[in-house]
Formats: sequence, C-alpha cells, structure tokens
Amino acid sequence: MKLHPLSVPYRAARTVGNLFVILIFAFFGIPQFLDGAFAVAVTGLLIIVGLLAILGWQYAYYRRYEYELTDNTLDIDAGVLSRRSREIPYGRIQNVSIERSIVQRALGLAEVRVETAGGSQSEAHLQFVGKAEADRLQNELSDRKRQSREERTAAAGAEVAPGETDTTPADRRELLFEMTSRELLVLGIVSLDSRILPLVFFALTPFLSEIGDLLGGSAGVAVLVLPAIVLAIYLATGILSAAYAVTNYYGFRLWEMDDELRYERGLLQRFSGTIPLPKVQAVTITENVLARRFGYASLAAETAGFSPGQEGGSEAAVPIARRDRVVELAESIEPVDLPAFERPPKRARTRYVARYSIVLGILTAASYGAVAAGWWGGQWWLTLLAAPLVPVAAHLKWRNLGYALTDDHVVTRNGFWSRTTKIVPYHRVQTVVDTQTIFQRRRGLATLHVDVAGSRSLVSDDSKALDVDRDVAAELRETITTRLLEDLAERDERPEDRFQDAPIDPVESEAASGPTRRDTGAGGSQPE
Amino acid sequence: MRGASGDDPDSGEGPRGSDGGDETDGSTNPATETAAVTDGEGERATPDERDDQTTRHDGSGESSLGDDPEPPATETGATDAVDASEIDPAELTVDERSLHPRIRTIWIVRAIGWSLILGAIAVGATWQWLEITLLAPVGFAAALLVLTVTHAILRYRAWQYEFREDAIYLERGVLTRVRTVVPFVRIQHVDTARGPVDRVAGLSTLVVYTAGSRGADVTIPGIEAERADEHQRRLKQLAIAAEDDTAV
Repeated sequence: MKLHPLSVPYRAARTVGNLFVILIFAFFGIPQFLDGAFAVAVTGLLIIVGLLAILGWQYAYYRRYEYELTDNTLDIDAGVLSRRSREIPYGRIQNVSIERSIVQRALGLAEVRVETAGGSQSEAHLQFVGKAEADRLQNELSDRKRQSREERTAAAGAEVAPGETDTTPADRRELLFEMTSRELLVLGIVSLDSRILPLVFFALTPFLSEIGDLLGGSAGVAVLVLPAIVLAIYLATGILSAAYAVTNYYGFRLWEMDDELRYERGLLQRFSGTIPLPKVQAVTITENVLARRFGYASLAAETAGFSPGQEGGSEAAVPIARRDRVVELAESIEPVDLPAFERPPKRARTRYVARYSIVLGILTAASYGAVAAGWWGGQWWLTLLAAPLVPVAAHLKWRNLGYALTDDHVVTRNGFWSRTTKIVPYHRVQTVVDTQTIFQRRRGLATLHVDVAGSRSLVSDDSKALDVDRDVAAELRETITTRLLEDLAERDERPEDRFQDAPIDPVESEAASGPTRRDTGAGGSQPE
Repeated sequence: MRGASGDDPDSGEGPRGSDGGDETDGSTNPATETAAVTDGEGERATPDERDDQTTRHDGSGESSLGDDPEPPATETGATDAVDASEIDPAELTVDERSLHPRIRTIWIVRAIGWSLILGAIAVGATWQWLEITLLAPVGFAAALLVLTVTHAILRYRAWQYEFREDAIYLERGVLTRVRTVVPFVRIQHVDTARGPVDRVAGLSTLVVYTAGSRGADVTIPGIEAERADEHQRRLKQLAIAAEDDTAV
C-alpha cells in the first residue's frame, strides 16, 4: 500500500521549512556577489530549481514507499537511492503509535510508528498515511499480533479461546480510565518538569546583573531576595510545566482491548498508542512531592520497545489519578499486592547526613572564596543557614527508600522529590547486579540493581534497592536469580503462559529475528 | 576481596575445565566472533547458502561469524530442543577464577604509558608557561604513576569470574565493587573480541550480551585466546540448555 498522496506536498513543505536558513542565506547572500536584475534572476531560478528538486525527491520517496500486511509480517519497501525492504514479524511488534500534529490533523494525515524491542529508532515509521488508514493499521496490527500468538498457543496443543474477530474493535474495547478536568487541573498543578528549568534560567539571563546587585547588598536584603527569586523561578517553571502537561494530556483516555492497553491524548497534537500487556517488562508508579501531598500518582507501563515520546522509551499509562486508582490499575497490569517496604538500615541515613554536610561544606567554601575574591559582596556564612536542612533531607531521602520481594515481583522505591515505585516480575529480570562504592564499603552497604529489558532504564532509572546491608544485597541477588529461574521453569510447564510471548515458530524462522533488512545500493539514506 | 589466584591462571580451573577445547576449529581468528547462542549445531550453512537477505536463523549454526553486526534474535525453536537435552550444565561450569596475568601486565604498561604522557604534558606546560620549579609537575607525574599502577594491580586482583550451573557470576571493580549475575537464559549472544594489543598478548575479551540495558557491562577481559573461544562455546551450550521462550 502507498502513503497518503498529500504526504508529498506536506513532506516537501516540511523539508523547505528545515532548509529555511539555507534559503534565507541564498536569498540575501547571492546579490552580494552579483548585481541588479541578474542577481534576482539567478536567485529566483535557484530557488525554483531547489523547490522542484525537493518536490521531485518527495514524489520519488512517495512512489518508492510501499507497505503491506502479509500473513506473518509487516513488509516495508522504501528508499529512493538506497533501497531497503524490511519485514517485521507481527509477534515481535511492541507498540504501535499514531501521532497527528495540528497541521496534519487539518490535512487529515497521521504519522504511524511501529516499535520492536531493541534498535534506537522506530522499526517502521510511516510518514504519512490518512487518519482512517492509521486507525485501520493500528487495529489490524493488534489483531494480527493476537492471532500469531494464538496460533503458537494452538500449535503447542493448548486450549485456545475462540477469537472474537467478527466484532469490531470498538465493541471489544473497554474504557479503563478517562481523565476528568479536575485531574487535568491537578496534573497541571503537580507537574514540575525539570527540563523546563534551563529555559527559565535562560530567560533570566538579561536580569543577572540586577540580581547580582541586589544580592550584593546587605545580608538582610539578600535573605529576602534570594527566596523571592527561587519562588519566581519555581512559579515560572510550574506555569510552563502546567501548560505543557495540560496540552499534552488533554482528553486522555485509556482502554483495554483484548490484551492491549490503548491510550489517546493531546490538545493540539494528538497521540494514540498501544501498550501490549504480555510484553510489559515493569510497571512504575511515580508520585512527585506535590502529587503525594494531594494523594495523586502516575503510572507507566514499560515495554522493551523504543518510543520516541517524551517519556524516553515508555509511555505513561496514566498521567495522573488518585493514588488508590493508580495502584488498582497497576495491580491489574501486574498482579501484585503492594507490600510493606523494607527500609535500608539506619546507617544509610547517617551516610546521607555526611554526604549532604560535605556538599554544604563545599558550597560554603565556594561562597567564602567568592567573598574573599571580591566577586560577591554578601556574607559568606549565608549558606550555613541551610545546615538545619541537612538532617531533614537525609531523613526524607532515607524514608522514601524501600524494597520488597513478593511472590512474583521485586518492588523497589526511590526518591523524595519524585518517588518512583518499580514493580518488576521475576520472569522479566535480565541481570542482577550489586555495587558497592568505596563509601558504601565503609559502612557495609551495597546497592542492588535489577535490570530488565527496556529502554527506559538507559537513563539510570533502573530498579534498585539503594544502600541496603551488604549481606542482604548478596542474599537478594541470589534470591532474585533463583526466583527468576524458578518462575521460568514454572512457565515452561504451563504452555499458555510459556507461549504468551514466545517467538515465532520455526516454520516462520526466516522472519524470526525481528525486523529484517535487505539493503541494496550504497549510501546511508534510510526510510523514515 | 577474594584472594587472587596469583600468577597461575589455571589454579581455579575445575576438574573438567579443559575438556571443551577439543573442537578448536579454524574459525577463531576474526577480531570479533559472534556465536548466536540459540542456533543449534544443526544444519550448517555454507557461505553461499546464506543469501544476502536478512535473517540469521536459516541455520547458520556455529559458523555465524562476526560479519553480522546486528545482535541475533533470541530463540529459534525445535531444532534446539535436541541439543538442549544433551547438554549437562554441570559439566560445563567454570569454577571461580581470575584473569590471565598478562592482562595485568597490559594494564600496568598502559597505566605507565598514560602517566608518562600526562606527566610529560604537565612538565612541558610548566616549563613553558609557569615560573615555578619543575619539581611540582614531576611529583604530579610520579603520584599519577603510583596511583594508576596501583589501580591496575588492584583491578586485576579484584577481577573474578565464574560460570555456575545457571548463571555467569562476575566480581570486579576497585573503587566501586560490582558483582553481576547473568542467568544463562538471558544470554542473547556471546562475542570474543581481540584488539591489536590483545592479539600480541594472545589474549581475548569475552563479551556477553543480554537484552537488558546494562548488558554492555558483561565484558570479561584478559582471557587466553583459546580459552575464550572455549568459554564462548560453553556459554553457547549453557544458554541452549537453559533455553527459554520468554522473548522480549
């Protein structure tokens, strides 16, 4: 099948937008070397030729782009100079997402991405198909994924529930969660996006010298001004984060359909995606300090697929909801009763006191140095006012740590500002690592990391039990490994589980290794 | 820290330690050799049977050499079942052992080299731009030398690996001690890599890949070349024996 014809002018317009700087340069640069009407003619000609070339290229891209749903694979043939054909077995597909910017919505276009495990980019990226076709693809791929799983289960001799293929997708889906305007409001209030902070600081730079003058005055003024500035930064970040979160998650709805979760969200740019439940690697509950205060939390289900969304690899299943509702949803994704957490030993807390004291010491030394060097006219001891906060901070950090082993899961909890609780089923554990820094060794502590397949962990957001006793860490390491193997052996005995997400059977082994490629021709251009 | 087994790399070897080396074939020389653990020993494809398209699973068997940069997929299926039942993991384990002492020499030489280079830069910079005695940069270089060489020695001493019946166990790290358990079921594929220095020293590096994001952590340097190949074969068999269908 082909992309939507409108994708040609749209892609061309986008390319022109990307090349805008070069075009500007051409427009104003060329008349410098030539003069008069000749320059205008040359510039105009170049621009026209350039536009035609872009349009031609995009037309060729459109002509060459061909996708097809075969019995077992999604096939894509693409590429203008360097051609590539790719086969993605249905059983390997993790997420299918649809993205529609406001312009695309006006044109009736949609961008479809298909993710598999591994790989740093989407395995299939259709730019662009029609809205109806995008929905059809999403449904069709879900159906076929399910069928390929059922076929494997049937091949293993297990009972298969009759497929309900005669009903429409809309009939089978069940609304799990719909965000109310109240929740959207809460989301706006509690969302504090640290990525916005640099932006705020950047906006502040013109006023730096004024701020410096204010701070350089008497100590009394500095004591008043500093909190005011911090508050201002906080408010600005908060307002921007709120605006971002609200546009992003406006109209959020979550359905369960067969064995997938589907979500839809967005005010200007609409997103819609799937989270296959049998492929969920870990479930994360995140509550930042404000959300905790109001009794709200967010939920993310992590799969091994790479989604280029802002969640860096996994899409939030529920951006915000009352905590009990989130826990309930988490328990429906991974059957686990959130247990009571074990805290690390008290000497871990002592360690944080020491750590924060050292940080404060360094800050004080720096401020002393700044005063001594005459860069700052304030009082060097101002930083010491934060000293009473050290034990409080250490206690809060310690209080929010925790780990627990349940029958089927390892659960870890970390963080005060943003407390994340990670639930990892034993059978998803990849490696178990315990580390001891030189400081931890002094106190007989160790950190246990539980690694699962997935891209989210890349940003050091892995499941870990921080600063537990050294012997406990060693014991946990062995226990988790043993439970992993036991769980896998158990699943081996129950075919319906074993084949829940088993690979393609040997008949299809040609396609069994995930997406496959045939590259012909040279050059690095790839289908997007 | 466990006592290092000193200069004898074989001291930790189990009783059956070396019986896997009998099938050394000629295919051990490429700088990187990938054994797709899930491929059976079944049909071996000759190079011309492997058409230019795509898949690594149409029976590339043991000969799936390192010319394919992509990680192989997880499992095939029925063809492995036969092999899996014939493998006894207990026979393939490797008792706790340290690295080959030559890697310590390499690390020490490297530490000396870097210290000398940095020291020379420091001395040169001082001589050129600063009006102070050369004692300071020389002292800096000496301190650097002592630190890095000590680090290299301690690093060697801290390294320990072990193939248990169901998992690889690694212990390493000087400042941060790291202990890793990689269950065989989780092995995606195993590489042996030999850089130029490794080749001169007759050593090899074993790299074990998992689907986890910390997978790149599982690298065992400084293993004798033949032993690394043998380990690679063992791991492959152990992974097949531990085969599992819970693919990602």
